[in-house]
Amino acid sequence: MSSTPTARSAGPVVIDRARAPRPTARRRADGVDAVRIALWVVVAAVVLLPLGAIVWLAASDNHLPLLLGGDIAEAGLNSLVSAVSSAVGAVVVGTVLALLLDRSDLRGRRVLRLLALTPLLVPPFVGAIAWIGIAGPTGSVNALWAQWFGAPLWNIYGGDGVIFLLTVHSYPVAYIIVSAALRRIPSDLEQAARISGASAVRAVMTITVPLLRPAILSAFTLVAVGNLADFGIPSIIGLPERYVTLSTLIYRYIQSGTVESPLEVISTIGVVLLIVAAAAMVIDMLVSRSRWELDGSASADHILPLGVARLPLTVVAWVGVLAITLLPLFALLTQSLLPAPGVPLAWENLTLDNIVRATTMPATVTGAVNSVVLSVLAGVICGIVGLAIGTLVTRTDARSNTALRTVAMLPQAIPGLVIAVGWLIIAPRIGLFNTPWLILCAYVMAFVAIVVQAVSAPLRSTPMTAEEAARISGASRLRALFDISWRMALPAAISGATLVVLTAVRELTISVLLLAPGAQTLGVSIFSLQQAGAYNAASALSLIITLVGLAGLGLAARRAR
Amino acid sequence: MTRKHYVATAATFVVLGLALTGCTAAEPAATADADSATTSTELDAATITVYTSEPQEKIDAIVAAYNEEQPNVTVEVFRAGTGDLTARIEAERTTGDVQADILLAADAPTFEGYAADDLLLAYTPADVESLNQDVVDPEGFYTGTRIIPTVIAYNTTAIDTPPTSWQDLTDSEYAGKITMPNPDVSGAAAFNAAVWMNTDELGEEWLEDLAANEPVIADSNGPVSQAVAAGTQPVGIVVDYLVRELQAAGSPIDVSYPSEGVPYVSQPVGIFASTDEEAASESFVDFLVSEAGQTLAVEQSYLPVRNDVGTPDGAPAMDDITILTPDLDLIAETKAAAVARFNELFQ
Repeated sequence: MSSTPTARSAGPVVIDRARAPRPTARRRADGVDAVRIALWVVVAAVVLLPLGAIVWLAASDNHLPLLLGGDIAEAGLNSLVSAVSSAVGAVVVGTVLALLLDRSDLRGRRVLRLLALTPLLVPPFVGAIAWIGIAGPTGSVNALWAQWFGAPLWNIYGGDGVIFLLTVHSYPVAYIIVSAALRRIPSDLEQAARISGASAVRAVMTITVPLLRPAILSAFTLVAVGNLADFGIPSIIGLPERYVTLSTLIYRYIQSGTVESPLEVISTIGVVLLIVAAAAMVIDMLVSRSRWELDGSASADHILPLGVARLPLTVVAWVGVLAITLLPLFALLTQSLLPAPGVPLAWENLTLDNIVRATTMPATVTGAVNSVVLSVLAGVICGIVGLAIGTLVTRTDARSNTALRTVAMLPQAIPGLVIAVGWLIIAPRIGLFNTPWLILCAYVMAFVAIVVQAVSAPLRSTPMTAEEAARISGASRLRALFDISWRMALPAAISGATLVVLTAVRELTISVLLLAPGAQTLGVSIFSLQQAGAYNAASALSLIITLVGLAGLGLAARRAR
Repeated sequence: MTRKHYVATAATFVVLGLALTGCTAAEPAATADADSATTSTELDAATITVYTSEPQEKIDAIVAAYNEEQPNVTVEVFRAGTGDLTARIEAERTTGDVQADILLAADAPTFEGYAADDLLLAYTPADVESLNQDVVDPEGFYTGTRIIPTVIAYNTTAIDTPPTSWQDLTDSEYAGKITMPNPDVSGAAAFNAAVWMNTDELGEEWLEDLAANEPVIADSNGPVSQAVAAGTQPVGIVVDYLVRELQAAGSPIDVSYPSEGVPYVSQPVGIFASTDEEAASESFVDFLVSEAGQTLAVEQSYLPVRNDVGTPDGAPAMDDITILTPDLDLIAETKAAAVARFNELFQ
């Protein structure tokens, strides 16, 4: 979940005056009300039910003393520290990148922007596997360093490595949010400051950055909540050094039953995470309320000249971004092509065996098929439900609209881990225990918000005139909703659903907890190989997934031009 | 996000699909000669679920070879560490029936526990008289399928004088250099902890001395062998077949059989009493210990439980290794306490 980009608008909220609620006379229930009730049933089943189960189970017995016990308190502290520090790092990197790539005359900005976004396409746990090859105890960089200076440079295992990798995998999200806000800030203000004698840097620091504050804060909360429960990175990078976070602790409890009544303890942790997530959501809402509106810019975008610093900054930015994007690929490549650990890197030792073996293993094929099927189904369901909710809450007046939207958006702020635990609790009672459909339910709950978000933005910004025209011509409310609103939002829904598919197909946190015979996903296949010590095979699969993701990005970028 | 983007995504999936399924035909399934001693008749269509701690590739090859004999039986595999499997079985028992038909994992004491709880079906495999009688349960609840000794592995580039006994590992020369698996996850590691505790010349004192050398506790045997081969931790306590495999693949790793003797587990197989597919489950058990199944085991670098299929390349003959054969009932009784003590000392 930590690398899910969401098209959250960070700019000023535009209130469409044409849509101010009108006093409606009492009317008979019609098709729209039926749709609304149906949607409420759906969100109650896939969102409120699992959350309710967590809260109910946590409340069934008092486990609070346990939470204050050694293990959980330590894991909670680690989770908090790693989430907050990586979010700070991601926001700093993301903001600097946004200023450099969108506002300055850095050389090669366009290509660099694409490169800088690549960590979004690499699932975090794959990044972890790759970085072990670079900065693990016997990784390439450390091996070289030890040859020259007699000691390794930096061992990625442990808390510092977890924070570093979480930062690497979440700065693109921060960059996207900040850069969207930056586009809405007219450069006239900066111009005015420059005319009054401020230096370029001072103009940016005193005018632009303060105006970005709401976007920065919302990027921070989003990234921090996402990173709070990432599972792949802390389990692959943290555990070898005994650095335990809440997510890895929960996984261990579920898998090995090392505590009495693990589900109750886990749901108590889940409730604590829920409270944290809810608090983050509230902060985010308060911040977005206090946003100020800026008039659109009258002049063309103004580029900030870097002057003397242009060359050094270009070099630094390129080196940094290339290191973060190409080094892991190189590490995955070498790990995939070497037959076994400890074999020196030389031409005669390279072999394609690992790649062939990893891709032809029945477990991998099953995992890949499961992942594709589950993520496409999740995309279709989220697309339909999300489109219906999005149109209903933006194009009709009802008192329950805000509540419906909030419930649908809620899971976005909830760590995937908690979502999985919720479904784990209710699974035996709804007969889905040990089936892949459980993973599908969790995916729908986790990702429906992506589509609601995607369709809300364009619908909000178009006036109601088309629907009104349809009503005047005699269409029922439902017909107007179907024929006009849905049609308008369809492209947005399709792109939202695509994003759901792309997110779900490489997902690990949810599926690793809902693992069952015959219900393993691609992410779990790679994770299991890594756990079993088949590092070369895990790297080979990771490499393939990464290259496919990058190829997809390349295609998308080519077409977008 | 446009229609174009959507097309690009669709293209991505096509590529992914091709990448993942395009070369399935290239799999040369390691199959043994299918002239097994038992001329089994083909069973009707059935689906059985196997819980196992076998490495994924190995169990996949076993299922493929079994399907050569029984093409109509679909075998669903759930692979996890022994600790995870026992937790899952425990959870399933409390909510209803065990979801698996077959358990292929761990060690005899684990199965003794399940047999005592009436979870297992008594079944003596066909051809039982050809097997090593040490691994056959006289009551017939489980049968060992391979001999898996735990040995000392060392990295040949980093270690000049390899340790030759368990006692050697407590030498300060190996401080910070040792890695071993976690008994909470690995069934063999849990079994070993109990055997060491109950071996007179080792016992708790030896464990304390070993803990003083601060070994790195990895999750399971796989990562331990990798760490030794890569040189991260040049000495490891690990099951022997992984060392042979890495050696064959070219890693600088070798094995040393400790002089006090090696504990071994037999990766038994048993059928859960709650199974609906008794015939198919029994045929799977038969296959595992049949000549064909054991030939495959040897190909997978395991020491076999029959003496008519040879031994893996690079493995010593069974007579050349000192084996620790503790009283299994005693091990079953003391295992939990031994693991708890191990965790106190090492974690």
